[in-house]
Amino acid sequence: MSTAAETIEPLASPPRARHRAPSLVDATWWELSKLTAQVRARATLLICLVAPVLIVVVINGQGRPPKDTLYGRYIHHSGFAVPLLMLGFAGQWILPLLTAIVAGDIFAGEDQHGTWKTVLTRSASRAQILWAKTITAVAFALVVLVVLAVSTILSSVVIVGHQPLTGLTGQVIPSGTAARLVVASWATAVAPLLGFTCLAILLSIRTRNPAFGIAAPVVAGMIMQLIGSLGGVEAIRPLLLTTPFESWHGLLAEHPFTGPLTTGLIVCAVWCVLCLAAGLVSLLRRDITEG
Amino acid sequence: MSEVLAVDAVDVTKRYGELTAVDAITMQVGQGEVYGVLGPNGAGKTTFLRMLFGLIRPDAGTIKLFGQTREQAGTRSLDGVAGFIESPRFYPYLSGRRNLEGLARLDGGAAPGRLDEVLEVVDLADRAGDKVGGYSFGMRQRLGVAASLLRDPQLLVLDEPANGLDPAGIRDMRALVKRLAAGGLTVLLSSHDMGEVEEICDNVTIMRTGTVVYHGGIAQLRHQAPEQGHRIVTGDNARALALAPDPDPSLRVVPGADGALIAYGAQEQIDAYITTVVTAGVPLRGLRLTEAPLESLFFMLTESAPGGVPHALDHPAAEAAR
Repeated sequence: MSTAAETIEPLASPPRARHRAPSLVDATWWELSKLTAQVRARATLLICLVAPVLIVVVINGQGRPPKDTLYGRYIHHSGFAVPLLMLGFAGQWILPLLTAIVAGDIFAGEDQHGTWKTVLTRSASRAQILWAKTITAVAFALVVLVVLAVSTILSSVVIVGHQPLTGLTGQVIPSGTAARLVVASWATAVAPLLGFTCLAILLSIRTRNPAFGIAAPVVAGMIMQLIGSLGGVEAIRPLLLTTPFESWHGLLAEHPFTGPLTTGLIVCAVWCVLCLAAGLVSLLRRDITEG
Repeated sequence: MSEVLAVDAVDVTKRYGELTAVDAITMQVGQGEVYGVLGPNGAGKTTFLRMLFGLIRPDAGTIKLFGQTREQAGTRSLDGVAGFIESPRFYPYLSGRRNLEGLARLDGGAAPGRLDEVLEVVDLADRAGDKVGGYSFGMRQRLGVAASLLRDPQLLVLDEPANGLDPAGIRDMRALVKRLAAGGLTVLLSSHDMGEVEEICDNVTIMRTGTVVYHGGIAQLRHQAPEQGHRIVTGDNARALALAPDPDPSLRVVPGADGALIAYGAQEQIDAYITTVVTAGVPLRGLRLTEAPLESLFFMLTESAPGGVPHALDHPAAEAAR
C-alpha cells in the first residue's frame, strides 16, 4: 500500500463495465472450491476409501463370524455378504455422520468464520447460495457413498471371493446376480442419505453451530432407530428417515418386493423438501448481525 | 454530481425487541461525496450499514442505492456498491488470491487481470498465495479493500476501516481511502474517530443511540465547534485566576470542571498571561491544549444531554430527521 503522499494520486475511476449476474454454476463452483480445499472433506473421502479394506481384512481373519447380524453368518462364504453386512451397519449411524461432516457444517461454517457478510454483500442471492451449498453437500454425500460402496464391494470380492450369495429367504443367488443386487442394495441408501443430508443442512442453518450441525443428525438417526425398534409404532416407522436404509432387504428375497423401497423414496423426498423449504425460509428471513 | 443519490435512506428504523438500534434515520449521500458516519460504539452505525447491504431488514423506512431498493431489484440493488462491515472476514484455509477468485465468481467473474490489479493496489501481490489464516489484521483489512475494489464500485462503504490497525496501518489506510476518493469514488465511511472523518470526509452524519444528532458539512461543524483552550494547573488556581485581566475579549480564563483553569484567546495573550502567573510566584504545574474543537464537539453531541448540544446544531439535526 502506498504511504500517505502530499499529492493524492487517484486510484479508482467510476465503473468500467457492468458485471454479469452470477449463475448457480458460479456459486456452486465456489462452494466446491472451498470444499475441496478443506482437509476434513479430503480426510473423510480417504477414510471411506481405506477403512472398508481394513475392515474386510479384519472380518475375513476372524474365526467366529458375527452371526447375530444380517449376513454376518455368511461373511466367509461369499464376498457379496460382507458389503451387505457393512451396508446394514453403515445405515445405523455411519452414513448419517459421513454426510453431516459436510452438510452440517456448510452453512454453520459461514457463521463460524464470520463470512456471511462477505458472501452476502456480493451479487449472488441468498437463494443461489443455498442451492449451491445444497448441491455441494449432496454431491459430497453421493461421492462418499460411491467411494464407500466401491471400496467395500471390491475389497470384499478380492479378499473373500465372488462365490454365490445366500438370499434372505435361503435361496442361492448366482454371482453375477449377486453383484447386481449388492450394487442395487447400496444404491437404495441414496434416498435416506440425501434425507439426512437435507436434515443436516437445516440444522446447520438453524443452529449456526458446526459441531451441532454434524452431531445432531447422527443423534437424530439413533433416536429414530430407537423409536423404530419399539413396539406399537408401526404407523410411524415408515415415516422415519432410518427405515429406508433397510429397504434393500426386499431385493434379496426369493420373490423380490419393492414396496418399502417406494415408500422410502417418497418419505425421503418429503423429508428433503420440508428440510430445504424450512432452511430456505430461515436463510431468507435471517438478519446477519454477527461476524 | 449526478442527480441520482448514491445512498437515499429515509426514516430507516431497526428494532430488536425493546431496543431501537436505529431510529428513523434519514441520510442522503450524493455521488462523488466522501461521507462520514460518526458515532460512539453502540450508536447504530454498523446496524445502519448492514441494512444498506441488505444483511439486515429494516423494520421501517426505505433505502435506495443509486435509485434502486432491495425490494425492487434484489441483489442487483448492490450493483456498483462494495465494502465491508466491521473487520472483513475470509476463509482462513484459502489463500488471499483464492478468496478473491471465489468472491469474484459470486459477482459473475472479474475482468482478466483485475485480480492482480487490486492486489497490487493494496500491496498484497507478494502475499496473495499465502493462506489468509496467516495474515495479520492489517493485511486482512487490505484484502477487504481489494475484495471491494474487485466489484469496480461506484460506492465504497467502509465500516471503521482503521479499527485495530497500528499507526502505520492507519496512515496507509487513510491514504488509500483518499486516493480512491480522488478517483471519483463515492465513499461512505463509518468511524468513531472524529479526526479520521475530519481528515477524509466532506459531509458527516453523527449518530447517538440510534438517532441522528448532526447532519451536514464538516466545514459547518467546524464553524460550530467550541474554541480550543489551554488547560492550566497551578499551585494556587484561585490566585492565578485573580491575575487574569478583567473582562478582555482577547483572553478569557475560566475555572474548568476539574479545578484547573481553562484559558481561551490568542497565543500571544495566553503566553503573556502565563508569564504574569509565573512572575507573580504562582507555581505552574501543568499546561496543555484542551481537546481538539471538533473532537470536543463530537463528545458534546454524543455524550451530553440534549440541552448540552449547541443550539445552532439543533437545526441541521432536525432537518436530517425530517
